[in-house]
Amino acid sequence: MIKGNNNRLLLFFTGNKKFAALIIVFMVGLLTVDDVAGQENTVRGRVTDLADGRAIEGANVAIKGTAGGGSTDATGYYMLQGVSAGDVLVFSSVGYDTKEVTVGSQTTIDVALAESINLLEETVVVGYGRQKKRNLTGSVVSVGSEEIAKTALQDPISVLQGRAAGVQVTSNSGAPGGEMTIRVRGNSSLNSGNNPLFVVDGIPIESGSLSSLNGTENFGLNPLADINPGDIESIEILKDAASTAIYGSRAANGVVMITTKRGAEGKAQVNLTVNSGISELTRKLSVLNASQYRDAVMESYMNMDNPEQPYWTVVDSLNPMNNGDVDWQDELMRAAGQYQVNLAIRGGTKNTQYAWSSSYLDQDGIIINSNYKRITSRLNVDFNVTDKLKIGQSISYTNGLNNRINAGGTGNLSVIRELLVRPPIMSMYLPDGSLNGYSLGRRNPVGIALHATHLNKSNRIVGSQYLEYQIIEGLKFRSNLNFDFTAMKEDEFMPSILDYREGYNTGAVRSINNLTWGNENFFQYDRTFGDGHHVGGVAGFSFQNWRYERTGLNGSFFPSDDIRTLNAASVISNKDANGMDINVASEHAMLSYFGRVMYDYQGKYLAEINLRADGSSRFGRDKRFGYFPSASVGWRFSEEGLFNDLSFLNDAKLRFSIGSTGNEAIGDYTSQGEFLVGTNYLDYSGAAPTVMPNAALTWETTTQYNAGLDIALWANRLILNVDAYLKDTRDLLYSVPIPRETGFASITQNIGSIRNRGIEFLVTSRNLVGEFQWSTNFNISANRNKVISLPENVLTNGFIQNGAYHILKEGLPIGIFYGWRFDGVYARDEDNVNGVTHGAQGPVFAGGDPIWHDLNGDHIIDQNDRQIIGNAEPNFFGGISNDFSYKNFSLNIFFQFSQGNDIYSEINHQRNAIVRYNNLSTDALRRWRQQGDITDFPKLIRDDPKQSDSRVQSRWVEDGSYIKLKNVNLRYRFAPSLIDRIGLRQLEAFVTATNLITWTKYTGFDPDVNSYAGLRVGVDEGSYPQNRSFIFGINIGL
Amino acid sequence: MKTIIKKIGALTVVAVMASCADTLLDKEPISNFSAQGFYKNTSDAQAGVYGIYNAFQSAFRLNFALWGEGRADAVGSNAVGDPAALRQNTLTPIINSARWDNLYTVISRANYAIKYIPQVFGGADSPLRNQLLGQAYALRAIAYFYAVRVWGDVPLILEPYESIDQELFVRKTDREAVLDQIEEDLTFASVNCAASYGGERDRVLITRGGADAFLTHVYMWRKDYANAIAAAERVMDNPLYSLVTMGDWTNVFAIGLSSESIFEVGYNEVQTNSLRILYALGSDSYYFPSERFMNSFEEGDLRRPRIYDITAVQPRMVWKFFGEGFNDESPDPSANNIVLVRLADIMLLKAEAHARSGQPEEALPLLNEIRERAGLASLDQATAESLYGDIESAILHERSIELSFEGHRWFDLVRTGRAIEIMQPINGLRDEANILWPIHEEAINRNPNLEQNEFYR
Repeated sequence: MIKGNNNRLLLFFTGNKKFAALIIVFMVGLLTVDDVAGQENTVRGRVTDLADGRAIEGANVAIKGTAGGGSTDATGYYMLQGVSAGDVLVFSSVGYDTKEVTVGSQTTIDVALAESINLLEETVVVGYGRQKKRNLTGSVVSVGSEEIAKTALQDPISVLQGRAAGVQVTSNSGAPGGEMTIRVRGNSSLNSGNNPLFVVDGIPIESGSLSSLNGTENFGLNPLADINPGDIESIEILKDAASTAIYGSRAANGVVMITTKRGAEGKAQVNLTVNSGISELTRKLSVLNASQYRDAVMESYMNMDNPEQPYWTVVDSLNPMNNGDVDWQDELMRAAGQYQVNLAIRGGTKNTQYAWSSSYLDQDGIIINSNYKRITSRLNVDFNVTDKLKIGQSISYTNGLNNRINAGGTGNLSVIRELLVRPPIMSMYLPDGSLNGYSLGRRNPVGIALHATHLNKSNRIVGSQYLEYQIIEGLKFRSNLNFDFTAMKEDEFMPSILDYREGYNTGAVRSINNLTWGNENFFQYDRTFGDGHHVGGVAGFSFQNWRYERTGLNGSFFPSDDIRTLNAASVISNKDANGMDINVASEHAMLSYFGRVMYDYQGKYLAEINLRADGSSRFGRDKRFGYFPSASVGWRFSEEGLFNDLSFLNDAKLRFSIGSTGNEAIGDYTSQGEFLVGTNYLDYSGAAPTVMPNAALTWETTTQYNAGLDIALWANRLILNVDAYLKDTRDLLYSVPIPRETGFASITQNIGSIRNRGIEFLVTSRNLVGEFQWSTNFNISANRNKVISLPENVLTNGFIQNGAYHILKEGLPIGIFYGWRFDGVYARDEDNVNGVTHGAQGPVFAGGDPIWHDLNGDHIIDQNDRQIIGNAEPNFFGGISNDFSYKNFSLNIFFQFSQGNDIYSEINHQRNAIVRYNNLSTDALRRWRQQGDITDFPKLIRDDPKQSDSRVQSRWVEDGSYIKLKNVNLRYRFAPSLIDRIGLRQLEAFVTATNLITWTKYTGFDPDVNSYAGLRVGVDEGSYPQNRSFIFGINIGL
Repeated sequence: MKTIIKKIGALTVVAVMASCADTLLDKEPISNFSAQGFYKNTSDAQAGVYGIYNAFQSAFRLNFALWGEGRADAVGSNAVGDPAALRQNTLTPIINSARWDNLYTVISRANYAIKYIPQVFGGADSPLRNQLLGQAYALRAIAYFYAVRVWGDVPLILEPYESIDQELFVRKTDREAVLDQIEEDLTFASVNCAASYGGERDRVLITRGGADAFLTHVYMWRKDYANAIAAAERVMDNPLYSLVTMGDWTNVFAIGLSSESIFEVGYNEVQTNSLRILYALGSDSYYFPSERFMNSFEEGDLRRPRIYDITAVQPRMVWKFFGEGFNDESPDPSANNIVLVRLADIMLLKAEAHARSGQPEEALPLLNEIRERAGLASLDQATAESLYGDIESAILHERSIELSFEGHRWFDLVRTGRAIEIMQPINGLRDEANILWPIHEEAINRNPNLEQNEFYR
């Protein structure tokens, strides 16, 4: 509401009797003020939260211009004596906008304060401390508990999707508890060490997937799903080097700081949240039906150079194994239920504060039989032992049970792959009523989902203890002891009813123990001297140790499919299917020293210096320590005289930072080399060198420059944050292929460099304040990634082939797709006027064959015609969140978007290629069939000698841009007056819809997809599809 | 004061932490050894040598046949890929048999053993040290011997790789220099290996006899007949070896560990090879006997029905390795040992050396001993010449039957200079330079100092 619009608003509101009455009362109040000036009175009243009507305890009520005033009690009531009419009462409370009321004749003044959204006044969590957001000189983005509650999501990473500028989150899998990829300011490493460091309540925790079964699977489980979002107070993402350098060696990819809720002095508050919902597939994809499929298969055989008949059962519609007409999506997908309960009790006395919580989640996946159950339990306590000594403990336990149903994996062991390409003709049951478990080389995916075992059971305890001693005013010493322990067991079983070999079944078991523990000791200093010389600092050291152990066995030939424990297996092996050791243990340690000095003068001139030295056991003695300094300055120019006249400008600050951070993401023993035991010869124990040592290995280092601007305008109604950065990563740790004559395939070395540069905008605006509130939060980021240099000796043909679809090449981004360009389909044989051939001596392309772009014009399609066919990096991405509230209703509408990124749709390749009797999409109905057909779908050829299907090609590169209505949350808070009577503090009902609508040109299940966790970005290999969900819930507060 | 004490205390902790940083940060591998931390005691030395044999299993699983038979005249094939390229002489740098990776893995493991075993024994001259070193040298030599015969000049690497400061991009060494090294290594092995280890180990490990047998092959390849005869004599005098009867002939391969076997690569149910895929998958196997091979038997040869199904018009598998009547269509890997050298092979090599040295009277009894076992009449010089042109040819023919499909034929043709003469009518081989394999494209890509073999540039 802008002042000049009052008249128009008034006109508008006069149509509404209630509003009109309200405004009249308000105006009358103003008019009567002067008449009653002069008398002294006692004024009392109650201060409440405008949004939920809750009492605000400890709010200040001051009489403006005097020393008089008071504060509210636990129920929000206050009483002031000696108040004269005409005095102005100033109501203020931390976290709320200050409100002034001029006293008239009334003796009761109730005030509802609006929660402050002045982000610059908030504090944020940073490494080893907390800082006023207003005084930050680095780049930090924060997501609070309110925001998290609106999503009703089950893990903290999904919550960040689209909500934090510069943070790109993509789904590796839509499975319950499935892994996500999170990138802060792009990929800065060539190996898989691109994940940020996760720090929970000051403790660096394990954030990589520990799940080790089904090693062929591209995605694992999300270890952060062990954290109940309901327990989270805030998530901060530290992005620039000034913020992250204090975490030194593991901070090159940013730091995600998760802070859990702690208790506060006061009466116990009980919160119970119950929600339940339903989810479904967002989009079904087209497939051919049985008769369309049979036509296609027969045609593909007729198009061979020497036409053959298909294997007879494929086209024999009377064969009981192949007389079905099944759309496997219908058989495998379901509307899935979910249910979640959160109970939290928080409170405390002056000397003891506690936060106690527990939650239960039971979530079905949208594929039959997939399910995730999670129990979390947490206790955070703080004790003031003396005036100077404070101790505390946080401990959380999570129990997870994930029935993964072999959704991932490769080939026909996987449900997802089979979903779309399994021929519709394969019948579900045989005439005798038994499951048609295996036919024509394929397992029945319904059979896999229902009868195979792939169960992950995890138990995780994360805990920390601290002791904080105030030595003198401003100087504190703190010591933390922390541990993160995961015990995981995984079971796998593939029954013989799904195999072609009589009595052949396989089972596997893995038990994983992972313990990370650490100790941190540091001094914190914070004092203000004289007229605003504020000095702060941190100095300390830490030690952290990681130990990973895995035990397990593989077995086969169990006498029955019913006994699935390994004791029943007739053949037992301690090697996996690839001959690798199942039973392994490894350990890694880091010793660090860190320090920070901060100075600011009246919040106007700010400066900060950080230094961390990290020593890692992963590097040789001489290369062990890395030093990671950073420096930053800030200038709050709004405080300068020049800007004093600009009343609309509340706050404006310029920030600059520079610093370096590291990456040690290599194997624990890579630099020492490895002598593998178990390389036996017959029954004789053998050992052999398998990893070549490289004592010269050292840290990968990222140097980052950041410039930022924070501006708050019009009484903090509009806040703008802009950041621009440049990140140079050098000494990249990379497993470089070396000549096999050495006896080794590759050696990890420090090579080359990568650059990421980008810009991030965050706009927070309160468009309407008052009873009808509307606020908007908009963020948009762009990152440009480029490989700057790669040493000559690691290149083949000028680049490194990075998986099947990507290359790494100087001057190009990491996400480049490289292959052949598809320029359409020859309508007739004679359209190939140049007689272009497949390979130098290969066949000539004819009518119905794809037209490949002949890059070098030699009329031969070969390796030399490969070219850049796409880029997985978006031009920009972000999100926009709108919050509306009126009276007891509030509504959040959140859109997420990504623009300009390409997706290599391997799943579309699979469902449009006539291999292994795959079914096809309905696109195949417009295939080329005879000379003269003009189409973009080539003719179907079984075992095509021209390799039309198997090429990496632009045909499968699609525009992955999208706008997604990611989240809609509508809630109703019952008026306090109503619920007071039944003894409740709070009662709220809400409905949340997720993934409601997606606008995209992408033809797969969902453009929010990334099948590989590593550098092979933007590939859709057929992950567990995303779902659309509707969740209903209530919050009850006592 | 109290606070100062505390500060000092804390600083002391920091200092202590700093001083023991290396102790805290030295982490040795737990479930494996570090590359330099392995060789400590004699059992490590033993395990290191078994690790070389482990690489041998991979190197010969399939390639003993692709290299030794794939380009020669005894095999027919309908399979695509390597079998087709070798048979049709359309070798390209992307075929699998052009990879030498597994041989160099053998060499690398041997180089580690050769460097570290003497350190384990601290210079003491113990029999265990010598026989372990002898085996390591022999295994390295055998790997190089295959490499030289397949690719000609190859990089000669005799030190383990332990640092990137070492030259990673090694050029090729002239084949004669490599053969000199092979001779030296095998000579060391023929002195230092144990004469016998007892039990199955006499067949699956390199004994003195094994070293002598390979030495015989190397001398024959270098046309050094006097030395070949001397080495072969040592083998024949070795009490470990004697010919089996015709009734047991198939068991040399199907069961293994026979008295005729000198060195066979051991396999079992877990450590498997591809013999079935090569020879016995019915219509799908890589190889079956060629027409030319089937027509080359003399009347009454008892080996013939033991090698393939003579009742079939078009036999589609080789029985030799599995037993007469073998009819298993399972694609599962096989557990048979693969015999690389055996007594009959060495006897025929010795016969050939004598024949080429102008000693037919020494050659013929050896040849006839093999013939008689197969139920064939003895040959005198005249019949040998009338049947095969000369004694050398008669011996070469005998080798082609006796050692059929065992991975010798191609090397025999090359060694005797008859590869082009025999293969040209079959697949058009006509260029001497074409006899070598190409170096695999990936090896060329990884090592810029490697030059592709002339014919394939």
